[in-house]
Amino acid sequence: MRVRLVAFATASDVVGREPLAFDLESDARLSDLRRRLESEHPELSDLWPRLAVAVDGELAKDDPPLRDGVEVALLPPVSGG
Amino acid sequence: MGATTEISARAALVRDAIDVAAVERLVADPSCGAVLLFLGTVRDHQGDRRVVRLEYSAYEPMARERLATIVRELEDHDDGLRVAIVHRLGDVPLGEASVVIAVASPHREAAYEASRTALERLKREVPIWKRETYDDGDEVWREEEPLGAE
Repeated sequence: MRVRLVAFATASDVVGREPLAFDLESDARLSDLRRRLESEHPELSDLWPRLAVAVDGELAKDDPPLRDGVEVALLPPVSGG
Repeated sequence: MGATTEISARAALVRDAIDVAAVERLVADPSCGAVLLFLGTVRDHQGDRRVVRLEYSAYEPMARERLATIVRELEDHDDGLRVAIVHRLGDVPLGEASVVIAVASPHREAAYEASRTALERLKREVPIWKRETYDDGDEVWREEEPLGAE
């Protein structure tokens, strides 16, 4: 399956502001994508515990399975207003 | 009724200066005896550091949806209350508004409460970030509140 990754704020400083595509095994979960990302961007390991992760706009709890075509968003603590 | 279109107009992200009077018009209604406007403006300091530039970024689809949820839930909570929240993205010059919240209500107490709740929920629930540039050239994405559930 192929998933799309978008990252914001401090997470975009690590992986960039442009959306990325990742090809994953058909039974991949969020933790598999995390491993891929951390192998390419080791700096992400320090940041990850602070991140909220959304899958298609819904905050992910635990380690959800991913589906082909979903958008995964890395969302650091927010500072709007 | 076109209610969906209407609520998206009252939960908006814009890239240019916010037209405060236009935000007021989104909620004003003859049934309301109070219209309350809140402007969050860009400060020239953060603690003891001097801020020279400020940029806002958002996960736009999710931010719009969550702003609309806040508007809808506040309006459902109080009869006759109308709420609009407009947040600016991109560079926002010092002193200009980054967010405008307008609340119209038959009575003022409900308007004050809804205005405060709208901003507090925005700061916790809406994926928007600010990047500050300081006078020493340092730049940082501010991390203030973990993004919570709605």
